[in-house]
Amino acid sequence: MSRTLETKTEAVLARELGADRGRRPIGGRPRRAGLLKFGYWWWALPGILFVIAIHYVSTGVGGFFAFTDWTGIGAFEWIGFDNFVAIFQDPSKVGALVNTLFLAFASVILSTVVGMGLALGLNRGLKSRYVLRVLFFMPVVLSPLAVSYIWKFIFDFNGPINVVLRALGLGEFAKAWVADPVWAIWTILIVIVWQNTGFAMVIYLAGLAAVPVEMEEAAAIDGAGVWQRFWHIVLPSIRPAVAIATTLGLVNGLRVFDQIMALTGGGPASATETLATQVYKESFALGNFGYGAALALLLTVIILVFAVVQQRVTQGRPEEN
Amino acid sequence: MFRYTRLTALRESLFWVLAIVFLAPFYFLLMTALKSDQEVITSSALAPPSSPDFSNFSDVVTASGNSNVLLGLVNSVLITAGSIALLVLLGSLTGYVIARSTRRWSRAVYYLFLVAIVLPTQLGTVPLYIGARSIGLTGSVLGMIILYTGMLLPLSIFLYAGFFRGLGTEYEEAATIDGASRTQVFFRVVLPLMSPATGTVAILAGLIVWNDFFTSLIFLGGSANQTLPVAMYYYIGSLVSSWNKIFAIVVVSMIPILAFYLFAQKRFIQGFAGGLKG
Amino acid sequence: MTQHRTIALRRGAMIAIPVVGALVLAGCSGSGDASSTSGGESTEFSFTFATSNNLESPYETLANDYMEANPGVKITTNPTPNDKYGETIRTQLQAGNASDVIQTTPGSGDARGIIPLAEAGFLEPLGDTAKDLIPAGSESIFEIDDKVYGQPLDFTIGSVVASLGTAEMNGIDGWPTTMDELNDACSALAGDGKSLLALAGAAGPNAGLTAQAISATRVYAEDPDWNQKRADGDVTFADSDGWKATLQTIIDLKDQGCFQQGSEGAGFDAITNGLAQGTSVGSFIPSGAAIEISKAAPPEAKFAVEPFPADDDGKAFILASSNYTLSINAASKAKDAASDFLEWMASSDAQQRYYELSGELPVSAYQDMDLTGTIYEPIVDLLASESYTPLPNNIWPNPSVYDALQVGVQGLLTGQKTVDQVLQDMDAAWGE
Repeated sequence: MSRTLETKTEAVLARELGADRGRRPIGGRPRRAGLLKFGYWWWALPGILFVIAIHYVSTGVGGFFAFTDWTGIGAFEWIGFDNFVAIFQDPSKVGALVNTLFLAFASVILSTVVGMGLALGLNRGLKSRYVLRVLFFMPVVLSPLAVSYIWKFIFDFNGPINVVLRALGLGEFAKAWVADPVWAIWTILIVIVWQNTGFAMVIYLAGLAAVPVEMEEAAAIDGAGVWQRFWHIVLPSIRPAVAIATTLGLVNGLRVFDQIMALTGGGPASATETLATQVYKESFALGNFGYGAALALLLTVIILVFAVVQQRVTQGRPEEN
Repeated sequence: MFRYTRLTALRESLFWVLAIVFLAPFYFLLMTALKSDQEVITSSALAPPSSPDFSNFSDVVTASGNSNVLLGLVNSVLITAGSIALLVLLGSLTGYVIARSTRRWSRAVYYLFLVAIVLPTQLGTVPLYIGARSIGLTGSVLGMIILYTGMLLPLSIFLYAGFFRGLGTEYEEAATIDGASRTQVFFRVVLPLMSPATGTVAILAGLIVWNDFFTSLIFLGGSANQTLPVAMYYYIGSLVSSWNKIFAIVVVSMIPILAFYLFAQKRFIQGFAGGLKG
Repeated sequence: MTQHRTIALRRGAMIAIPVVGALVLAGCSGSGDASSTSGGESTEFSFTFATSNNLESPYETLANDYMEANPGVKITTNPTPNDKYGETIRTQLQAGNASDVIQTTPGSGDARGIIPLAEAGFLEPLGDTAKDLIPAGSESIFEIDDKVYGQPLDFTIGSVVASLGTAEMNGIDGWPTTMDELNDACSALAGDGKSLLALAGAAGPNAGLTAQAISATRVYAEDPDWNQKRADGDVTFADSDGWKATLQTIIDLKDQGCFQQGSEGAGFDAITNGLAQGTSVGSFIPSGAAIEISKAAPPEAKFAVEPFPADDDGKAFILASSNYTLSINAASKAKDAASDFLEWMASSDAQQRYYELSGELPVSAYQDMDLTGTIYEPIVDLLASESYTPLPNNIWPNPSVYDALQVGVQGLLTGQKTVDQVLQDMDAAWGE
């Protein structure tokens, strides 16, 4: 499910940024008021009704329960903001919030750095760059559930990582990675970054394709070094791509779910719980539906805030003219 | 300028080493899936099987009931294809109206869809289930198609609206002068021009539907119409599971999508990057 | 341009074909559904139960047996994965499309517990057959206002399942009966890279069962009514010496090397593999699981259900209770057929068959059974002297208390939590 959301946002926010660029010249044109010149307005009706019913009505009903003590079955009572008070008084929920933010930001930074490195390396020059792109992108198409099973084996106590460590005489570092209070969250981070890097790479490659070769060559002739060329020519040109990839990563990172459930289940002792896993656990496993709904509402608000901030940042950004 | 130098060759080999490390999980996946029950416990996790044992795969393919992967495969294909078709139809129509309308409500509707995309689904799952059940949509392939269409429609509409915005009105005007009706203009002229958008919608939405696990687990629960990820989940039992069996079904579940990806890799990568252009 | 259009048109055709196919097929399955639900014949009903693996469930076999014995009856089984079971049946009950017969658990300590489901009006009261099966003293977790909502099936022992064969091969003469013997055995085995106990520390239910099975000797042997006192507010977890000793024992076991290496991150596969391979002697698992594991182990493994040693001055005590019940959906349209099935499930034939299939003792018949030579032999005397207590978490008021214990045990293993913290968390989860 979280994968659903992830990919959804990726595309949409990318689109949103792209649309911003495309919209500008249209906005400059005088707008014709009045009826649609092409198509009929009612063509949009099925789509709008569909989205309102499946997204807004169901979420609205769910959001209502955030202010109740519903257990998921039977009767319930309106309890106002009690659930929200309880969230902020519970250290494990605050810990989940911290983990959520850590995973979101750390996965963005790592995916950006690695994805950018891959994109720059595979942009031009290499004979096998197309094959390599295909290989690095491969994890993106796989289901997070299947991928998590593979990584669980890799991090297993008798798995490949520990086998290698023992073979190198570093046996004392071998550990149950997914159950280590310090390392568990990093294993999740690695899996997320492994699956997202290919996507970041593709976004940056698309951005890099827009950088004129002539400009780079001119700069090279003027004696600009590799780093200078990257900093002054490449980076400004692909800034929209960077904005997209980082914002997407952030919003997606806030919702990570499948990987955690499959790898650690939120353990050891809640060390890797996030808001998304807590929502699931409270609403379904523990039968505190109202409390879980309150957590979900909190997560929704956090994500919407990030989405709005992103909108403001990108719209206020000077265009590349 | 970009001559192939010794440095480039070095860079090329470096990236291949990186790629091999990056794809090492697939090595473990395949090697372990080919080990026998005995060997998977006794041999090193790094070692290849002494002799490939394909019985794990035959076990997977012949599993029946809820973990019938072949049935799951058929259901996944039907659900994915049906959802893509509806998403293309409804998404393009709605996106077109929103992009071409200059009225204020179209801007409001646009944001309605933007917000729908970031809403976490946990909040709506139970109400949605109750609603779907009351109109008889749970447990059937058709119900899942309708559900996924509704869930991914904002994405589809967004992509189409963006692409339509980038398209000038010249084609429509020309076709209108030629006497085509509005419906004809849309289906004969505009939609065919949108094939990059359609490709992006099909690939993004298709992947999401194909890989989705939680929605189908809940909404198809208790029916015979399991999807591939759910069949995989059922198959991987908790008590008697061993890695060779788990990995055999993971391999089987990955084959269709990986084959499709490698066959149409260019479209896939373009589809993902497609959200960026416009 | 022309080329552009041709490609687009071809794509249109490609999409159109699967759609038609999908709609046709969906239409078929849709109508199939309709006939099975709206038929409303009383001889046809559905049955949902939890499965944890891909072997055929005992429930599946029993349902088939019943259909064979009663031609004309049709049972539609819905095996549901164990870790999503609670949320699935709750969602379905709420939506009104749950099966006619549902597997539940006694009490309210689980999302599938009878009491909260019955209080919400989702379960149908059952008849005298079910009532007669309820173990004396356990009424509160099966009944509300004298009405029974779940028919018990099993009599599950929660203790150590050990391979006496493995113990023998490693020079351990029989299962340790005192903590000193146990510690010696742990050290001896750890020296050989093996372990006395296999623990799936990352699997909440195993961590939780381990703690509860130990608590039988440290808490409930001395004070069988401890849960009632906790409910009355007379005691708390944090102030209980027994609970402190229970959790401290887990830490001691870990420090003594009684658990296998990496136990804090292990899943159930570590138990299956450890016991089947002979790298671990025993594990805290439900008695019925021994049947499954013994299928993977060599015949000389000789599994037995053994009590965990008590403290120096304590007495042997185990967990034994009915943990699986069957309930009837209050919204069912086939209540008569469903109650006939439950009636049959209580018959001695069905109970005997259940024992053969699941390895769990049947709730009604176990007292009359000769258990000599079975895995249950070592605990026959304890059962006879009623030295057992029901699974505590079934009696606790909500699932969060047991969750706090499960999470807490893992925290103890990794050093993230102290004994006092875990017990405070459990008190907090209990509520007032």
